[in-house]
Order: sequence, then C-alpha cells, then structure tokens
Amino acid sequence: MNALLAHLDHVASVAGGSPLYQIAADHLAGVIALVALPIGAWVIRRRGAPTLAPLDWLLVALLAASAALHAGLAIDNEHGIGVRALFVADAVFLGVVALRVMRGSRAGRLGVAVLVGSILAYWVAVLSGEAPDQVGLATKLAEILALAIVFRPAPNRRWRRALSFAGSVAIGLLVVGTAASSWIGAFRVSAADPGAVAGHNVHAGSVPPPGTIFPVVADRDPTPAERAAAADLISAARVALARYADPAVAAADGYGVKGLAGIDFHASNPKYENDDRVLDPAHPETLVYAVAPDGRPVLMGAMFLMPKIGRPGPTIGGPLTVWHAHEHVCVSLTPPGLTGLLSPLGACPVGSIDLPRTAEMIHIWIVPGAPQPFGDLDEAWRRAYLQAIAARP
Amino acid sequence: MDSSRRAADELLEAARVLLLLQGALLVASTIEALFWGLVFPGATGSSVVLSGAAAVAILVARARLRADRLGTRRIVYIVEGVTLATLAIDSALAFALIGAYPPAVAFLTQFVLPLCVIALLRRAARATAPISTTNVATIEVTA
Repeated sequence: MNALLAHLDHVASVAGGSPLYQIAADHLAGVIALVALPIGAWVIRRRGAPTLAPLDWLLVALLAASAALHAGLAIDNEHGIGVRALFVADAVFLGVVALRVMRGSRAGRLGVAVLVGSILAYWVAVLSGEAPDQVGLATKLAEILALAIVFRPAPNRRWRRALSFAGSVAIGLLVVGTAASSWIGAFRVSAADPGAVAGHNVHAGSVPPPGTIFPVVADRDPTPAERAAAADLISAARVALARYADPAVAAADGYGVKGLAGIDFHASNPKYENDDRVLDPAHPETLVYAVAPDGRPVLMGAMFLMPKIGRPGPTIGGPLTVWHAHEHVCVSLTPPGLTGLLSPLGACPVGSIDLPRTAEMIHIWIVPGAPQPFGDLDEAWRRAYLQAIAARP
Repeated sequence: MDSSRRAADELLEAARVLLLLQGALLVASTIEALFWGLVFPGATGSSVVLSGAAAVAILVARARLRADRLGTRRIVYIVEGVTLATLAIDSALAFALIGAYPPAVAFLTQFVLPLCVIALLRRAARATAPISTTNVATIEVTA
C-alpha cells in the first residue's frame, strides 16, 4: 500500500513547487477512498433510493464524499495515532449525518457541529504546520457547500430573511477563513524549513513558498572552482552594471524604470529578454533598484532570466548559483500587469489568467557587503544598507 | 403545472446555494486582489474592481433569482461565461507551456461550479417556460 502511495505521490507531485497546488502523498489514500462513493450509490439504487429533493441528494453526496475521504486519510501511516483517530471520528460523524439526511431528517445541529468542526480543525492543522494541499482544500470547499445547504432556513420559519442573511455571512467567513489559513499555512511551512542549499538562500527553504519553484539541488558545499566562477561572475557584473547606477542611463537602454519605488523595484528590458543571451553580465534582462529613505535611487543588482520556460539555468557556481522559477502567477489582461498568485481556492482575480510557470531566473547583488550575492537578499540587511546610504552626505 | 413549478423552485434553490458559494469565492478573490495590490508595487487595481463587481453581480443575482427573471439569469450567465473562458485559457496555457493542467480545485471552482449553475438555471427556465405553439402542435398530433 505504501509503495503504491509513494509511486502515486511521484506521479501527482510536480518536483520543486509549493504543496499548495499539489496533492500531498499522505492524502492520496483519501482520494482513493472516494472510489467507495459510486459503489455506495449503486447499492442505494439496488435497494431502492428514497425520495429526496435534489439539494438533499447533493448534501448526502457531499457528506459521504467527505466521510470517505477522512476514512481514507485514517488508513495512511504518515499521520500520528491522534490525528488518525480524529479522521475516524470525523468520518463516522459525517456518515451518521449523511444517513440522517437520507432518511428524510434535517442535518440539524449535529450536522452543523460536525461540518463546522471539520472546517475549523483544518484551519488549526494548516496554521500549526501541516502543509495545505489540493485534497484538503477540495474537501473543505465540499463541506462549506454542505453547510450552505444545511444553513437554509425552513420556508415557514420565523425570521427567515434574517437567518438566511446570517447563514450567507457565515459561509462567506468560512470561505475567506479557509483561503486565509491556507495562505498563511503554506508560507509558514516554507519559512519553517530553511537551509535547503548550503551557503545559499533562495527565497526560503526546502519547501518552496507558494508561487516559487526550486530545482532539485544536491546538498553539498561548492568546489573551489565553483567558488571562483561565482566570484568572477559577481566581479564582471559589478563592472558591467556600474553605468546603470543612474536610472536615466538604464531608461535610455530600454529598461522600464518609470515609477521607480520601494526597496525591490524590478526594471525589465524587453529587448534583452528576447536576445537569447544567457547570464551575460553586460546585458541583464532586469535591473533591481531600491529607493533610499532620502529618495535616492540605488542599484542593488540584476536579475538574469533564461530565454525559454523549462530551460534550466547554468549553475556555474554549483550550489551557490541556484536558479529558480515562479509558478501560478496571475497576470492581468486589462491592463497588462501582475495581479498576484493563484488562490488556494483555484482562481486568479477576475480579468487575470494563471501563468503556470515562468522561465528560470537568478538574482545577483552587486552592493558591497551583501550577505548573499545570489538568490534572495535579506530584507533587514537591505533596509539597513539603504539607511546607511541616506546617512551619507 | 404545479409539479413543474415545484421542480423549477427546487432547481432554483439548488442554484442559489451554489451561487452563494461562488459569491463567497469571489469575495475572497477580491480580498486577495486587494492584498496583492499592496504587496506588488506594479499590481493593477483593475483586478480588484472586476473581482468585486463579479462578487456583487453574483450575490445580487442570487437574491433576485426567480424563474421568470431573464435579466438576472443573463447576468449570471455572463459571469459564468467569463469564468469558463478564463479556465479554458488557463488550461490551454498550462498544457502548451508545461504539459500540465491547472490544480484540481481550479477545476471544481472554475468549471464544475459554473457549469452546474448554468445547467440548473437552464433547466429551471425550461420547467417554467410557457408551452410554445410548436409544443402545442406536437401534443395535438400525439393526441
């Protein structure tokens, strides 16, 4: 069973991306357990299906699906005994509520308690270190939909409108809470596991944050030759980029410096993005500026971009020069621009499309004393450096 | 006639539940767009406006949904059409660029959900539609 799950995990996962957009290995058993649903439906039909309204059938299906999934999760060995017991309890209670609805009763307070409890348990789990994934998210959306059905007040109920409004607000809060907890959980898991590559810091750790893909890199120290190559690259970049210290010169060469602001402003040059040059210090695809507290623009470094998506960047400095890509970036069409990352709920903002992957890229920092010459530059160091620049006459 | 009216009401009730979930998803999307607008200096504000407008359209349409209100149904069809078209572009891009598909949740919220809403609204409209002259002729011939 575990060998099968391990194989399926390999098939389901995209190496290097955030777990938020993938199916976790320890959740595959839950997906497999969903096979029980059509079998259950077939048995019910054979025995003579009860007469229910379409919405009640939908409620039964959602509860049964969640119950089957939780039962499947309890089988997997990767969860501790306590968590597995909770999965079993959740599966049993969800199954009981489904049976109740199938017999013509309302889901009632038990239904509300079980569904709300299951959703809140997910929030707690992802906020305390469990990486959110597609299976967990889909299950929670199914449970929220089930709650939306349960929350409908009876037609002859007093305060029907007020109850309906309160139910709608509750559904809205549960959806927003599920999205928020998933975002926070995904970033926390990434931040809690640092040090993927020796002597290097690519954005975060071995679990990438949402929107970032790390290549598979051997955990080793760089060789003397790789150290020398990396140092040569930084020296060459410092010499070649010196002229772009003045943003006006960069603008004349085609870099988009208009609206220069903040401490991480990327000015791209469309001309160099399509010139097929790879890691050429004299022709960086993007320049990175920061604005010092006194308003002075400071050239911090450059970002080099591979010409094609899926083409790996040359790691001339071994583990020192690790490239990365971005995934599920939302791009607006009206007007063209960046609008964020794909939501855990599966959508980019309206009017935006999901760019599944970018070309690989690497940052090189030319500012003197930069603690990480490649990859991410520590934000606190960056701010302190800019303060020091502003303090100079 | 009563049974078809009841069937239409049940279908519309189901559509209202799905529209509530979709409205909540769009509200969450608007909040996310606002957040990204603050994080990314170059992020466009149009996504906040469009997501917010879609959320309002869906939630207002849900509140006003009746079998005989064609205008309300049309608003829902437009939002669902945009959602489905966007997923089609996303899927085509994902397949063309990296030979993959969008995540599973995207298919549930951007394909299954809008498709179910459209199907329910169309069936509800059909269940309450007045009998056309063609249908009358068919009934007479059958009789």
